Amino acid sequence: MPSRVDLAPKTDQEIVVLARAGEEAAYRELIRRYERPLFSLLFRMVRDRELAEDLAQETFVKALNAIESYRPEFKFSSWIFKIANNAAIDHLRRRELDTLSLEGSPQAETPEAIEATALQIGGRQESPLAEVEARELGGQIEAAIAQLRPEYRSCILLRHVEGRAYEEIAEILNLPLGTVKTYIHRARNELRQALAHLRE
Amino acid sequence: MTGNSAAPHFGPDELDLWLAGTPSPEMRNHVDECCTCLELVRAEEALAAQLAALPLYAPKADLADRVMASVYIPDPFAIRSLQAARRRLLASPKAVAIAATIALVLLGSMTASAAWTLANRETLVAAGNWLVGEAARWAWVGLRSAALNLTEQPWFVGFRSLVETPGRLALASAAMSLMYVSGILALRRLLAVPPRQVAHANG
Repeated sequence: MPSRVDLAPKTDQEIVVLARAGEEAAYRELIRRYERPLFSLLFRMVRDRELAEDLAQETFVKALNAIESYRPEFKFSSWIFKIANNAAIDHLRRRELDTLSLEGSPQAETPEAIEATALQIGGRQESPLAEVEARELGGQIEAAIAQLRPEYRSCILLRHVEGRAYEEIAEILNLPLGTVKTYIHRARNELRQALAHLRE
Repeated sequence: MTGNSAAPHFGPDELDLWLAGTPSPEMRNHVDECCTCLELVRAEEALAAQLAALPLYAPKADLADRVMASVYIPDPFAIRSLQAARRRLLASPKAVAIAATIALVLLGSMTASAAWTLANRETLVAAGNWLVGEAARWAWVGLRSAALNLTEQPWFVGFRSLVETPGRLALASAAMSLMYVSGILALRRLLAVPPRQVAHANG
């Protein structure tokens, strides 16, 4: 069975071939590659850590159990982001959430629950001061993103946080290209207005 | 620099080109002359940079394990066997011809079977009725034999006298019920989880 060292340089398509051949390590590699981007997108969409965990798990289980139906001519990332976005939008249609807390779920009532639902920011290593500043600034941006309509939110996150191309976003969200451009433009306008005080 | 450049202000497409780092020379000239668009592109650049700098959030460490517990992984040995069988089957024109013949024979026999069934439904119903009748007859014969065998046993007369009167029957029933309940209680006691050891004040 190939180790992670063997799988790391392989493309998503090559990993999928191995997963289809029954290599458990290939499944784990796909999860490793996408757990943070997917979880970040889902958290920013639903604004609840526990719920984002559940939706991320649901997304991976759905995608990996249907890996035979994945068509390699499309990007794997588009396919799995599409499943995640559908899960988030389905949830948001069922339930309205209105506040964002980086310190924990809005539903958390006890200190233990708040701590359990607080986010762990991963990836970059920063000095404590820079971390605090980034956290304050990031918190305001996160709050502004949270005020966007879910459709705008998906578009702006995929475009400017995930760095996806317009065509890929259109494919992920199953929207016409022109609509995606309009949504992103409107979302940027709204964010610019919401964050105007930071520039002054 | 003025806010009244002759060219129209930037729209979404121009802003996208600017953010992508591919503005045309005309756009650069326009920004040099138009305060409104300069302010706009600076604000867009700042926003794009802030969004790109947002951190990735980490899910709980056991996400992969939780996912893998619900994912069906195909058996590599079965997949390889299937692939090998497919390769062998398609290895030569002769093998393909044999496989096609077998498939045709199987398909033909299934089709013929279905056609015969549809054409001879009355015969099948009659055969079914005969089989059910025979099964019922043999079941009755078996039951009678068992009953006769039981009444011929030496202990049967004694057992019959035990429950001959209603009073004795009630007594026997009560005794059997008591034995049954005692058995259940004994079984529960045997299968009960032993109580957890607790610390006592006296050590």
